[in-house]
Order: sequence, then C-alpha cells, then structure tokens
Amino acid sequence: MALVLWGLFGVDMNVWLDAFLRLQLIVIVMTVTVMALIYVERKFVGRIQMRLGPMRTGPYGTLQSVADAVKLLTKEDLRPATADFWLFELAPYVTFVPVFMTLLALPFMEDWGVRDLQLGLFYIVAVSGVTVIGYIMAGWASDNKYALLGAVRSAAQLISYEIPLILAVLAVSMVAGSLNLNDIILQQDTIPNALLQPLPFLILLTATLAELSRRPFDIPIGESEVVGGPWVEYSGIRWSIIFALTEYAGLWGMAVLGSLVFLGGWEFPFGTSGFWGDFDFLYQMALVFAKSSFLILTMMLISATFPRLRIDQLMAFCWKILLPFGFLQIVINGIVLMYLDSEVTRDIALFATSGALLVAMAYVTYLATRQPSREARVAAMVAARSIQ
Amino acid sequence: MIGVLKSLTATMGTFMRKPVTIQYPTEHRKVPERERAFPILLWDFNIDEPFCTGCHACERACPVECMTVTMRDNPLFAEGKSKRRKIIDEFYIDYGRCMRCNICVEVCNFDAIAMNNTWSGHELSTVDRKELILDLDQLLDLSKRKDLQAWDPAAETRASTEGRPQPPIAQVGATEDAPAAGEPLTVAERSAEEQDSPPTP
Amino acid sequence: MTNDPDLPAMTYDPELETIDLNINIGPQHPATHGVFRMVLVVDGERVEDLVPHIGYMHRGAEKLSEHMDYRQAIGYQDRTEYLAQFNAELCYVQAVEKLAGLVPPERAEYIRVILAELNRISSHFMFLGAFGTDLGVFGTSFTYAFRERENLLDLFEEVSGDRLMYAYFRPGGVAWDVPHNFVERVKWVCDQALIGAKDLDTLLTDNEIFIARTLNIGKLSIEDAIDFGASGPVLRACGLKFDLRRDEPYSIYDRFDFDIPVGSNGDSYDRYLVRLEEIRQSVRIVRQAIDQMPDGPILPEKLPRALRPAAGEVYMRCENPRGEYGIYLISRGSTQPYRLRIRSSSFCNLAALKHMTVGHYVADAVTILGSIDIVLCEVDR
Repeated sequence: MALVLWGLFGVDMNVWLDAFLRLQLIVIVMTVTVMALIYVERKFVGRIQMRLGPMRTGPYGTLQSVADAVKLLTKEDLRPATADFWLFELAPYVTFVPVFMTLLALPFMEDWGVRDLQLGLFYIVAVSGVTVIGYIMAGWASDNKYALLGAVRSAAQLISYEIPLILAVLAVSMVAGSLNLNDIILQQDTIPNALLQPLPFLILLTATLAELSRRPFDIPIGESEVVGGPWVEYSGIRWSIIFALTEYAGLWGMAVLGSLVFLGGWEFPFGTSGFWGDFDFLYQMALVFAKSSFLILTMMLISATFPRLRIDQLMAFCWKILLPFGFLQIVINGIVLMYLDSEVTRDIALFATSGALLVAMAYVTYLATRQPSREARVAAMVAARSIQ
Repeated sequence: MIGVLKSLTATMGTFMRKPVTIQYPTEHRKVPERERAFPILLWDFNIDEPFCTGCHACERACPVECMTVTMRDNPLFAEGKSKRRKIIDEFYIDYGRCMRCNICVEVCNFDAIAMNNTWSGHELSTVDRKELILDLDQLLDLSKRKDLQAWDPAAETRASTEGRPQPPIAQVGATEDAPAAGEPLTVAERSAEEQDSPPTP
Repeated sequence: MTNDPDLPAMTYDPELETIDLNINIGPQHPATHGVFRMVLVVDGERVEDLVPHIGYMHRGAEKLSEHMDYRQAIGYQDRTEYLAQFNAELCYVQAVEKLAGLVPPERAEYIRVILAELNRISSHFMFLGAFGTDLGVFGTSFTYAFRERENLLDLFEEVSGDRLMYAYFRPGGVAWDVPHNFVERVKWVCDQALIGAKDLDTLLTDNEIFIARTLNIGKLSIEDAIDFGASGPVLRACGLKFDLRRDEPYSIYDRFDFDIPVGSNGDSYDRYLVRLEEIRQSVRIVRQAIDQMPDGPILPEKLPRALRPAAGEVYMRCENPRGEYGIYLISRGSTQPYRLRIRSSSFCNLAALKHMTVGHYVADAVTILGSIDIVLCEVDR
C-alpha cells in the first residue's frame, strides 16, 4: 500500500496504471467523505436545533452512515409499473457521473490531482452542467406529476444558476490569467482571491447552493411541495446514489473548488516552499481540508436556517441580481486588468471595485425585499377596525 | 440582507446552547405522580384479595366500553376473613380501546381501580392486538409489586384550602359511602401501610 | 386523465395546445397537516383552481357524544381539537354549566383560564414550527417551537396526568387541584415561552426569504373573511379587532388586561405575526391570572352525581387558538345530550382556502394552507 501511495506521489509509473490507481483513491476517499459528511451534517444540524443528532450506532453515532448505507443497499429497488425503464434506471448514474467527473480535475495537493488539465476550470463548469439531464430523465421517466414538476423546476434552476457560476469563476480566471487550477492557486500565494474578488466569491457560494439543490434553493426536491421532486419514485440503492453520493460528493467537490479558487487552496498562507520537504503534502492536505470544511459548514448553516425560495423569486434573483452584477464584475475586471500595470494598485483596484459591487448588490437586494418597518406595522395594528 | 444575517445569528446562537433532548429508550424522563397511563386494579394486602368487588360501575361508566367484569361470591367472606360479600371473578380491559379518560377511577366506589402512573403503562407495544386485552392477573400485577407512585388528589385540595372550612371531597361521581375513617387512603399509602403490617394469614 | 366527476373539468385550448395539470396534494403529503386533500389545477406552476376534499378524519364526534353522559363526552372534545384541548374542553364544560346552571368556584375559573391560555401558546408554537417547515426551513423552526411546546406539555402532564388528552375540566370546575408547585412552574414556563418566541422571531420574522414567501400571499379582505365565516387569527390578520375574549367575555376574561394583535394586510405574513404576538399576550394573561389566583375549592359544594340538566338548548362560543369554537347543546332532561354540535373554526377558515390560493403558485398553496393552521380532526369532527 505504501508503495502504491508513493507511486501516486511522484514515482514514474505506467500512465494508465497511474490514472487507474488515482481514480481508485478518489473513489475511496469520496465514499468515506460522503459518509463523514452525512454524519457531520446530521450532527451539526442537530446541534443547531438543540438535538443530539445520531447517538445510537457506534460511539456518538459515528457509524450512522454505515448503518444507513447497509439499510439503503438492502432495500428493495422499486420501479413504478408505468415508468420508462431505461430512463428511470439510468437517471441516477447520469446525475452522479458528472459530479464524479468534476472531482478528476481538482488538485487536492500540489501537483496532485487525477489529471492536471490546462482548462481545468472550464472542464469543471462544463461537466457539472450535465447533471440537469439526469434530473429531467428521472422526472420524465417516473410517470409522476410531482416528479415532472420537480424536473421542470430543476431544469429551470440548474441551467439558470450555471451562468452566475461560470461568471464567478470567469472573473477569477481573468485575475489569474489562466484556466488551469494549479496556476490559479499558485497565483494566490499572498492574497486569496476571495479578498480580491468578494462578489464572485459570494456569487459562487450562492450558485453552488442552487446547483446542489440545497436549501434555501431546494426547489426541485422541496419536500413540502413536490415531495422529493424527480426522486419521488426512487428507493434503495438508486436513491442512495442520488441522495448520498450525488448530493454530498457534489457538496464536497464544490467546496474544494471554492477553497482552491477563492481561498488559495494549499498555497495560501504558507506558500509552496514547505517546511517538511517531502511531506509537504500533509499540511497542504490539511489546508485544503480546513478551507473546504469551512465552506461546507457555512453551507450547512445556511441550509439549516433559511426557508425555501419560490421558483419565480429564485429565477428573479438569478437573472435580475446575480447575473447583471456578475457581468459588471467581468467588465470592470477587464478595465482594471487592462489599464493598471502595477500589482499593488491592481490588487487595490480589484478589491475596491468588487467590494463596491458587493455593497451595491446587497443594497439592490435590500431594495427588492424591503418591507414595512415594525413601527408601521404597530401603527396599522392600532388603527385596525374594532367590531364595536 | 440584514434579516438573513439576523436569522443566522439565531441558528448560531442555538448551536452554542446545550441540547435539550434525552436518549429516550435508555433514559427515561420522570413521570409525575398523577400520570395517567392505563387503568389497573389494586390489591388489598390486608386480606390478600383485590379491592374490586365486580360491581360493574366502571364498566357502565366507560365511554368506550373497553371493560368486561364478572362477579362471584367471596369465599373469604364465608370464612369471615373479609368484609367483601362479592369479589371480582374475571376482569378484562382492552387497552386497545381504552381512551384513558380516568372516569373508571372516579366512579369506583371501592378505590379498586387506578391509573398506572409509571413508565410501564406507556411501553406496551405488542405484535398482536390480542395481547392488549389484559386479564385480572395482569391488571393486578403492578399493584402486587407495589410499583405505583404515591398520589393523593385530596391532599392537593386540602393544601389549597388551608385555613378555610374543609369542603367535601367533591369530585364528580365521588363516593357517598366512603370508608368512615376520614379520607380514603391513596393507592401507595395503602400499600406502604400494608408493607409495615404483616399480611394476614 | 381522470374521470372523477368531483374534479373540475380540465380546460383544453387547442390553439395553444397546453393542458392544465391536476395535482393531487394529500391525503398523505408532508404539507397537508393531517389528512387533508386538495386537488390543484395548475397551469405550469400557477394554480388555476383548487378543490378541497375533507372527511378522511371523520369519526363522528358529535354523534358519539349523544350516546354518552355529559362527563364522558369531555374526552371527545380533546380528540376533536387535539392542539388546543383545554380550550375545547373549556368551551364544552361552559356550555354544560350554562345548561345546568352550575357556577364554578373562583379558583377553578383561574386554573381553567391559565391552562387554556397556556394551551393557546402551545398551539401557536405548533403553528409556528409547522409553518416554517411548510416554507422549507430544515426543521429548525420546528424544533425551536417543539422545545417550548414540550415545556408546556410537561406542565400539562403534571397538572392533568396526560400529555395530549387531558380530560381535566369538569362541568362545575376541574377534576382535581393543581400541584403544589404550580405557580412557580407556570412562571418558569411563561419565561421559557417568551424565549422560544424570541428565537422564532429572530429566525423568521425579519428574514427576507421568509417575507418574500409570505408577504402578500393569500390575501383576504375583511369583507371576504366575514363572508367566509373566518375567525381567530385569520380574521384578525385582515385588520378586524374581533376577539371573543374581549368582545363577548366568557369565564373571567374581563378581569385581565391584554391587547388584541391585528394585522393590516390579511396575508400569510400577518397571520404569522398575529400568532407570534398572541403568544406574548397570552403570557401576559397567564401572569396576571397566576398573581390573582385565589385559594379555595375547585368544584361547587353541591354537585349532583349525575348531571341531569333541564330541557333546553344553549350555544357557547369561545376564542380558541384557531378561532371561534362553538358548542351547541340540546338537552331533553336526560343524562345525555340530545344533540351536540361543534362549530369548528378550522372548517370555516378552510372555506376561504380556494379564494386565497387561486392565482398563486403551487408553493404558495402550501404556504396558505399552513397559514390557516387547520386541525383536521376539528374540520371533519
């Protein structure tokens, strides 16, 4: 095992064998991560709600995910009699494979990913857009009105939010001057992109929540409206592929992407020249882990707090607020990068403009959601008609 | 935007607080003395027989008709050991029907029936509904083991009316022919008294 | 697709080639509290028509009560209105008292009012939690609300012996006296309820997403609300200051100082606000009542063993958490009521559902149904 790992971390090897071993490692790590994330989310949300969370299986319920997995795998895999066989059976895989494919281009450590792609960022946003096809397939094939409604909602939502997501990473790649993730990370050795580009960072967080169909953007699968949406008819292993693997692997992948692109990945704040020579990868791993954990916990906190938006409000937020400000950010970035040569002034200008845009976006959102003040409400209460 | 941040402070605030849940099957909340689970019958340790004489008062008063009572002559009365002329022969309560309204306890003239005020009255799940129909032995079991908690509703009333003329115990359907020696003892007081005195042979 | 004659005919426009979709929500659906069923006719996401179906929970509580004496029927009031049991019992026992000419002692009146108001708080907590879940909060509002409801239920259990089906009020008073530490416990529970209300207030009231989902959703004008027979928070949210505790004081409600929260808009948001504020007002009432509560007997001294009211009829109405809860009793001089009729507040409020929902989106239908706060047992009886 040690030999295999060593091979993965640098020793020359047959290129196919190397790729295969790396893929295997990713699969194992992903499975473990997904199980851990399910446990963490249940515990974290439990504490937010002043519950204990899972406590029975294993010490402090740590084996809860294992128990869930066993239960889901042994459950009957139901399919409605009127369902479209192929579409229904394949939809979970069509949903999951793009999520898995995004993991292949992520550099988790210095020079360590499955593949270092020159157009890594482009690849990731391109591939993750395929997920929506699985949603529509499932929704259509289930022969269920809730599923159909959920599929139509997810089509609208996922495709719409793809655009702000692309704009956000595009703004960063403009600053970095590259679409290669390694280059983007290397460029953040002193200042992470989240500081230079706070608005795209926020857009990315929002769009990620929407892309993953997490609360408050879980409109396609909203339990209280469409009862699970496209996945209403699924059970057993197929449902676990959708729910566990796709949702949490997607969460993990997007959090790692966010931590690499915006929070400096393994580069910030210690730089590439490590303290431990050959064992640099340990602290690099720890850095990426810490940053992505921060993002994941933030997203979990957000999902545990907010009510679900309605589909038209969601679309309005995307098209009327996120999208214009995303475009503005790109235009301003272009001007700043074109006319400012000095690195310091450039950084300051980038931070100032993006920060200003962020404030402007917050203000526009505030204007759009403005409501009568408490005093006005009290006045209305006092002025109410009495029956006498 | 401000309201959204305010919501986040609420969830983060509760994240810091202590969880309020307990781990139920291994950890039980203490139930109050006046807990009303399901009706059970009480055992007279003095004479070693049930208090119940099978008078059908509870059976008639039960809104859901979940009780079946039959009566027989008391052999101990013939021997002179007991004052009860008649004694319960068979007693069935269908816990599946019972709606735990406490009326059977209130109408009982002999304080022979009480509501189970322990956890054993709540954890009664079975695989078959037939097992929820309890017979006389099962109904008397808890009282024989002296597991009931003490509770005296009359004492509460006395406490609240201290220093005032004592009103009669005026529960709806309260008995007119209560034992002459003051207040009727409660379930657990009675069994505690019994514990001290040796059971009559 | 379906040939059910009850369902509205689907409109078909050959020119546009679109067809309205019938979506069946309920009786088993996460958002229909209980077993309510509604058939939505949707054009895309927009609701074109709504047909409510009730009756899945019909147990014949009125008919059952006609075969029981006046005391036995108390238990069925709990089961009819299972979120505000004390309020329902209060209404019933007051109707019987009116019929039989019983006057409960002071202490019993205070105990009843305290418990009924605490029950109003617990019912409103249930609403706040479930409403958040209807809107898609991940159980957070639900657990916040249930934490406080649990305190209240613990208190009710200590008083009456049961957590849900109290059967504690009796014609003429209450079954037995409250525990020794009742006053301290009630004070503590009131403090906790205010903390819980504050948590929910912080979590939801100012949240822009929450406001976007509820403001101007399901608007009802005062005139429409009166026409539909709506009452309680649904009516007060429209801006009409109508509360039976104030306008037609029963029991001892005229002794307390409290405000009647009203909305201005008649939408889901106002209904939420009215209920949130009613929690605080109920705490005010309970605090006043617990200070004034006298010692004394809990049942009248002369109480007949079996109630045998003289022939006659009586209608008693009370302000329950969900609105006006009425009991209409006819006696023919026997131990059993000749007729017992329940005027259900949820049923009348539910009548306005279609009026409020049509034209909104599917997600709003769930919001509006949640904002009415129905209890299906009370609707179907």
